Amino acid sequence: MTTTFLRLHTQPDVPLEAEAISPVAIAGLSELGIEHLPVLHGNIKAKIGDFFKVTGKGVPDILLEGDLGKIKMIGAGMSAGSITIEGNVGMHVGIGMSGGEILVKGNASDWVGPEMSGGRIVVKGNAGHMIGSAFRGQAIGITGGEIFIHGDAKNEIGNSMRRGLIAIGGDAGDFTAVNMRAGTVIVMGKMGVRAGAGMIRGTVVCFEDAPMLPSFEFSCKYQPLFLRLYLIRLQENGFENKITDQHLNGKYRRYSGDGIELNRGEILLFSR
Amino acid sequence: MPEVIQSKPKEKKNIKIVKDATCTFCGCVCDDMELTVDLDEHRITKAKNACVLGRAWFYEHVLEDRPVVLIDGKEATLEEGMDTAAQILVDAKFPITYGLSDCTCEAQRVAVDIMDTINGNVDTTTSVCHGPSGMAFQGVGESTATLGEIRNRADLVIYWGGNPAESHPRHFTRYAVTPKGMYIPNGKKDRTVVLVDVRKTSSTPVADIFVQVKPGKDFEVLWALRALVKGKRISKDIEEQTGVSREMLDDLVYRMKNCQYGVLFLGMGLTMTRGRHFNSGAVYSLAADLNEFTHFVAKPVRGHGNVTGADNVVSWQTGYPFGVNFNRGYPRFNPGEFTTSDVLARGETDAAMIIASDPASNFSRRAIEHLAKIPVITMDTKETHTTKISKVRFAVATYGINTGGTVYRMDDVPISLRPAFDSPFPTDQEVLEGIRQRVKRLLTGSKARTAF
Repeated sequence: MTTTFLRLHTQPDVPLEAEAISPVAIAGLSELGIEHLPVLHGNIKAKIGDFFKVTGKGVPDILLEGDLGKIKMIGAGMSAGSITIEGNVGMHVGIGMSGGEILVKGNASDWVGPEMSGGRIVVKGNAGHMIGSAFRGQAIGITGGEIFIHGDAKNEIGNSMRRGLIAIGGDAGDFTAVNMRAGTVIVMGKMGVRAGAGMIRGTVVCFEDAPMLPSFEFSCKYQPLFLRLYLIRLQENGFENKITDQHLNGKYRRYSGDGIELNRGEILLFSR
Repeated sequence: MPEVIQSKPKEKKNIKIVKDATCTFCGCVCDDMELTVDLDEHRITKAKNACVLGRAWFYEHVLEDRPVVLIDGKEATLEEGMDTAAQILVDAKFPITYGLSDCTCEAQRVAVDIMDTINGNVDTTTSVCHGPSGMAFQGVGESTATLGEIRNRADLVIYWGGNPAESHPRHFTRYAVTPKGMYIPNGKKDRTVVLVDVRKTSSTPVADIFVQVKPGKDFEVLWALRALVKGKRISKDIEEQTGVSREMLDDLVYRMKNCQYGVLFLGMGLTMTRGRHFNSGAVYSLAADLNEFTHFVAKPVRGHGNVTGADNVVSWQTGYPFGVNFNRGYPRFNPGEFTTSDVLARGETDAAMIIASDPASNFSRRAIEHLAKIPVITMDTKETHTTKISKVRFAVATYGINTGGTVYRMDDVPISLRPAFDSPFPTDQEVLEGIRQRVKRLLTGSKARTAF
């Protein structure tokens, strides 16, 4: 069998922290071995088998079925392999991952891919707050990797990100790329207020008009060459309906900021 | 002839005077009250020095005749109540405790210890009040001072997003506007008072300068001030965006840079509007930026009597101020994930211990619906919406009036309480200690919760 199949048979009553559902943890284990891996059900130690029926040996490609909205930390620290989730997923999916791919076919909750350094997370539905961001109290968020959200996402996307690419197919909330060190955030819908507050370097792109903070300054209207490359790559990765030729060939208004910080960041707004 | 009514000589009442008592109504925690207590009627008849809120707090306190413990609405003994509460907490997989801001630090530390023992979740009313300031404090740091220092030194006082005249009536007279201080010999004449708000309030007449910001534009104004303080350019449409003119901003920046000692007081108009912790963070950052030119501090104006104590106690026991989770046996801090309003709204908890707070009257509908489904333990001095839906309800004594202990003023200064008269009800601390003892007994030996 080429995948390890986990089907949810019992919905947890309270949040289930399941960092064991990760290619790193299940590698080489038998079905029984996987079912005995520890998870935390609220404050009670439990086993994967208490909630999931496992089929297939521990190969690094995992298929999960069921509504996993209360299950946190799936794919924690993964460095290779893949996880496909046929439904919704809870918080902290792909926490600290450095490689491999996670595909969520439903919606994701808050903190998608916190502090990841590599790999890719794709969410077909909507996602919550703090996509690809730093944990509270940490100075640096994601340091690499790609997060693609096809639906909408809420506040603080890419908070303090240092490197990497985040693409949002729908609308974004407030404070997109707040305190950004570097990296790229592309929003294909509308963007909330106060984007790029405190950003030092990095790029925020939005296909719609967005309000600018007073510390951002209009620089010019131009056709950024690098952006075409990014957008073509996104077109090849499922965003073909969102990115048109106009976006590829059109001009963008560039605002530089944040003036309070280094002023090396930029916000590019698509200009029709 | 009409009957002559002779007035009887007044009976000498059993009166007690409590000097230097402390009012625990708001975060000012004024400790200069002089209470006249009628020990026969068990009530306070006079509260010298108290403000309008303090007088209501003291005068309206009466000992109600109600059972100490109710379990499922039926009267029970204190021991039965504590047994049931301990069992509920031990049986729960995701127990939470919430409230804590209107009880003493001694009670708060026991509540945190219980959650530490059972690997539960600790949150206080800070999470729906100045929690964002706590997060901002962690993110950008804090230039801080005590109210005593502010009283003696501050010559520029800025209130942002608050209405202290109604929420903290003695803040102006006791700490920051009118009192004469060591380096402020003429009181208000030596101070410039600035009030920033979205509308005129009863605090506005106190201000020398009133800055009216468009609703929801505080962050933009703060950000523009930060840029101007650093000598950076700001966009020309600032007045159109925020309602504050460039001249006004330049004047404010000049005053802030050239004062001897400035203070920014931030209210809930910043922490509970769009932007939340970033609004507070912008205030803290502005104060930090200004320290390049002069001395500047920023302080949140806290609401409940001992909410600052709750932050301090939870911090010294867990390392974080609120929204702390012990599920793994060690503390984790994540507002949004472990804060009570969010945990309840997502339906994640299976038992709650609510101390001196009434979430059932002010949380979201989904949160209240979930609260009604789970076993709830409450400790409160009065009947509330939350006590009505609770499984185990303890009626407790009122801190500051019936019980002693320690509370923290909004500037993190601990103050001892001098109670006025005794109460037939147990204190929060006594109830919590009873529950702690039972919880520890239930979780001895192999049943002890260990780290994951």
